[in-house]
Amino acid sequence: MAAQPKTLEYEYPNYLQDPRGIWSWLTTIDHKRIAILYGVSALFFMMVGGLEAMLIRAQLMVPNNHLIGAAIYNELFTMHGTTMIFLVVMPLELGFFANFMIPLHIGARDVAFPRLNALSYWVFIAGAIFLHLGLVRSLAGMPDAGWFGYANLTERMYSPGINIDTWVLGLLILGVSTLLSGLNFFVTIVNMRAPGMTFMRMPMFMWAMLVTTILILLAFPALTVGLVFLFADRFLDTHFYRVSAGATPILWQHLFWIFGHPEVYIMALPAFGIISEVITPFSRKPLFGYPMMAYSLVLIAFLSYGVWGHHMFATGMGPIADSTFAITTMLIAIPTGIKIFSWIATVWGGRLRFTTAMLFTLGFIVEFTAGGLSGVMHASPPVDLQQTDSYIVVAHFHYVLFGGMMMGILAGFYYWWPKITGRMLNETIGKWQFWITLWAFNGTFFPMHFLGVLGMPRRIYTYAPNMGWDFWNYFESINAFILGFAFLLFFINLVWSTLHGEHSSADPWDGRTLEWSIPSPPPAFNFVTIPMVTARDAFWVRKYGSVGAHGVAPAISGGAAAAPVGAPAEVHEHIHMPAPSIYPLIFGLGLFMAALGCMIWIRLILIGGALILMSILGMVFEYPTFGQFNPEALAESTLGLDNRKLGMWAFLGSECVFFASLISTYMVYKDRNLGGFDAMILNIPLTSFSTFILLTSSLLMVLALAAVQRDDRKWGAIWLFGTAFFGMIFLGGQAYEFTDFVLQGLKIQTNLFGQTFYTLVGFHGIHVLIGVCWLLVLAFTTAAGKIGKDRSLAVEIGGLYWHFVDIVWVVIFTLIYLMRTVKHA
Amino acid sequence: MRLADRLKRNVPALAIATFAGGALGACQPYNAPMNTLSTQSDLAKWITSLYMQVTIWDTIIMVIVLVAMVLAIFVFSSREGDPGEPSEHESDLMLELAWTVGPALILVFITVPTIRTIMKTQPTKWPADTLTVEVRAHQWWWEFDYPGLKIQTADELHLPANRVVDIKLYSEDIIHSFWVPALGGKRDVIPGQINHITVVPQVPGEYYGQCAEFCGLSHANMRFRVVVDTPEGFKQWTAAQLAPPVEPKQAAAADGEKIFKNAPCAICHQIRGISGFSPQYSYGFRGPDLTHFGSRGTLAGSILENTPENVALWIQNPDKLKPGAQMPTLGLRGKDLQDLVAYLESLK
Repeated sequence: MAAQPKTLEYEYPNYLQDPRGIWSWLTTIDHKRIAILYGVSALFFMMVGGLEAMLIRAQLMVPNNHLIGAAIYNELFTMHGTTMIFLVVMPLELGFFANFMIPLHIGARDVAFPRLNALSYWVFIAGAIFLHLGLVRSLAGMPDAGWFGYANLTERMYSPGINIDTWVLGLLILGVSTLLSGLNFFVTIVNMRAPGMTFMRMPMFMWAMLVTTILILLAFPALTVGLVFLFADRFLDTHFYRVSAGATPILWQHLFWIFGHPEVYIMALPAFGIISEVITPFSRKPLFGYPMMAYSLVLIAFLSYGVWGHHMFATGMGPIADSTFAITTMLIAIPTGIKIFSWIATVWGGRLRFTTAMLFTLGFIVEFTAGGLSGVMHASPPVDLQQTDSYIVVAHFHYVLFGGMMMGILAGFYYWWPKITGRMLNETIGKWQFWITLWAFNGTFFPMHFLGVLGMPRRIYTYAPNMGWDFWNYFESINAFILGFAFLLFFINLVWSTLHGEHSSADPWDGRTLEWSIPSPPPAFNFVTIPMVTARDAFWVRKYGSVGAHGVAPAISGGAAAAPVGAPAEVHEHIHMPAPSIYPLIFGLGLFMAALGCMIWIRLILIGGALILMSILGMVFEYPTFGQFNPEALAESTLGLDNRKLGMWAFLGSECVFFASLISTYMVYKDRNLGGFDAMILNIPLTSFSTFILLTSSLLMVLALAAVQRDDRKWGAIWLFGTAFFGMIFLGGQAYEFTDFVLQGLKIQTNLFGQTFYTLVGFHGIHVLIGVCWLLVLAFTTAAGKIGKDRSLAVEIGGLYWHFVDIVWVVIFTLIYLMRTVKHA
Repeated sequence: MRLADRLKRNVPALAIATFAGGALGACQPYNAPMNTLSTQSDLAKWITSLYMQVTIWDTIIMVIVLVAMVLAIFVFSSREGDPGEPSEHESDLMLELAWTVGPALILVFITVPTIRTIMKTQPTKWPADTLTVEVRAHQWWWEFDYPGLKIQTADELHLPANRVVDIKLYSEDIIHSFWVPALGGKRDVIPGQINHITVVPQVPGEYYGQCAEFCGLSHANMRFRVVVDTPEGFKQWTAAQLAPPVEPKQAAAADGEKIFKNAPCAICHQIRGISGFSPQYSYGFRGPDLTHFGSRGTLAGSILENTPENVALWIQNPDKLKPGAQMPTLGLRGKDLQDLVAYLESLK
């Protein structure tokens, strides 16, 4: 092996050392500290979810078992799924690994929006605690309708307790957190790459995260809409999933799986990325087929939006839909196959080092392949009809999620722990853990294929003897406990190694990517000088001078290794890191209280809302840089575009899916209305007038921005007030329209038309209301002379939002008002 | 590298071989009434044939991946002190084309028979002599109506062999799923939507079924049986079901009939000529038709064999045997209970 090049000794403290104290952790906005918070929380929930799994296996160990009983069993499998997906796999991959590694991989000092990052964490914690409110004795009752909570079982009529209330609200809160993380990471990866790091030079983990964030932005709104409908059904007595009003519970399945299948890839792609990072240093080879690896990620993501129906083959969608979804689903096997073969080709011809991280990586490839191949079986609808909702599906997704994602996560832990904590994880314990995990995992989940073939349905708390299921269930339960023991080893290793483990150098694995070029653990600002990237595997090339290392002596030897080959992009005399903030925590607290208010005491909503408002305003005015151009940051940005502007674009892309889901629901339910009020009630002349006003306001917004940009503060303020005023006229029209309808007797509970109309137009109205408030803040600040040319960005971003809201209205007005057709079911 | 080390690295392959052997063993139809591979209808045979084709392709790919993986691990394990650096070979157009086009071709071989099977198994027209059965799913039991024959029953579905059966699926509350592995794939039972399973049962026998979509507390206890009769046997069964309920002959059964009428049983349960379904209760509160209860092999969502002891146990505390069951505990004891059981069991 080539001599380990040394790295610079920094005189700076690492990110864990300074500042100290609990308060510094509560207010931290350092992506590395937030990652630690995520990691610790997710590991805690991993223990919870693992214990739930072992209780499930204890109940199923023998037939007709009375150990746990039906009610608690149903809560256990619901919470096991929900916890592992939303509180373990996603926070570990996104919150922990991605959060820590994105800036290090792309050569940045932090993520694009550090406070938003902290806010995502505190909202995540709020949602995670909320999901577990049912543990409070006086509320009693954990969610118990399965992680995909199929309507209409989740309706108040069939689930009267708070079980589903905490689930709906908890998932809504977690959705906010994930969406904001996705937005943040998307902007970071797109716009904050170090000079020279083109898309095709990014580490594969960055490609995976880029695609994942796009999936998050475009998938979560569908879940949000589905949950909002369920919330309305449970709390406002609407009928989105009630057959008695003409609706269909299948709507939930469509909305849920339009989110749910991309969600599978939101969990899978980061693991693909981790694997791609771990496999290269331990094969001592560059990643094979890099372009195809990147394109296949994009292709998987694209296809994942067209396959949701394969979760619904048994619902009777008809032969055409079945065939279509079968074909799209099978197509996903092609890019996935490319990835697996390319990983093997990366190992092929390499010089392998079987560290624990590498072992988990190799385990991932084999187990994930097995999971993928059983997925091909389920992709064939006739075969799926024998397999869906049986244990063969449980086998399939545990091979994908545990054999795939969890092994990827464990590989990531062993690989990056030295960088994160400065100490190596113990390899001996690690290898024991790997082999026990490998055995026990296959012992637990492989026989589930047999149980599925033998017809054991999933989600049954008990089963009769003499079904041919006894032996394998017993065998699986024993192995599940062994698997639990393997995780015990893991936790012991984490704690022991963090306290007493061997100290790690900056580059313990002879790594290839930029995170290994800085000390372990890194200083708060990551890079003293932003590196200049000249090739893929940037750090490897810097060390050895070429992508491969054919006997080439290190190009740079000794202490100079950390200096980039090219000229440093920018040398900072003083590195300014943003100041910590307590507002993200207050925001999370406010959201928690508002959600709690829905359930127990309605006035809490106001207190929660006040906290949220306070934290938003606090964050807006916390820094004097509000709305200011930052020429330095702009020059450093990859696209030459301000992060805030790009973030707004990403948010609006996500909003498109939100409104598309609402509009589709309106369209689908239009023809299922059982009678009574319908679209003929709509007052087209009045609405045409407000539409005209709203469109005119967009014109005023253009004038306002132009005025501000030429530093004309007076006219800027006038046009902004004008825009806000026109917005208010529109809102007034809408208030009149709604009042008129309610007086005529059309309420949100009245029928399908009422509920879809009020939710769609109402949500648009809320967007206009937010826009008007925003415009008024801008207008008053401009009138006070605070917003001129230097801060015109504030107006520009507000304008983007405002134009988007107007465009959405044009679509709504056309589809719902102008093209109204009425047909009764 | 020492042989022992190599063997150690071979553990995954060994483990998988062990499991594959187990798989072969598990697929035997020994005493596994829900076995999806023991096919007793046209539908189930088509599905299994397709399943086998996909499994063969899957196995081929799994073997290729495993062999490549194990080879790579064996051949390219690090050797201490090896000065050579690995190749920096990082792309190969032909190879990459091969593993893109190859799987695509295999998918064509899977997709074509898939779509043919879909079209074959989801007909929209049925032959004239089709037997239509209406299945009504309730939380947590199955009701079977034969609209052409005017028969209503529960827990046990009788079908004639070698005749096209159109099973129409209705839900009275939430989403369930109708699944009899021996007769073919499952279909969800969805409120407000009528789904069909078209099947020709081929071999007379008794087959197990179970709800396959999670439907709340006692989802696990929503089982049923399908009895496929010979055409003659089905005729006899039909005639027996159409007959009015048996007049109680023993004194105990006659007393039991009085108890049935006077206790709340008659509100939810129909015995033709004795009690009807009470109109003030919706379908959701309907209990199984008991006109020929004694002729059935199981009760309470097929979780219990139909024996006097089990019927008594069930009446005493339904919620204990089936958590969340809507049938109330009536507090019947001693002789009353014995009489009621005797009456119910006499309803052959």
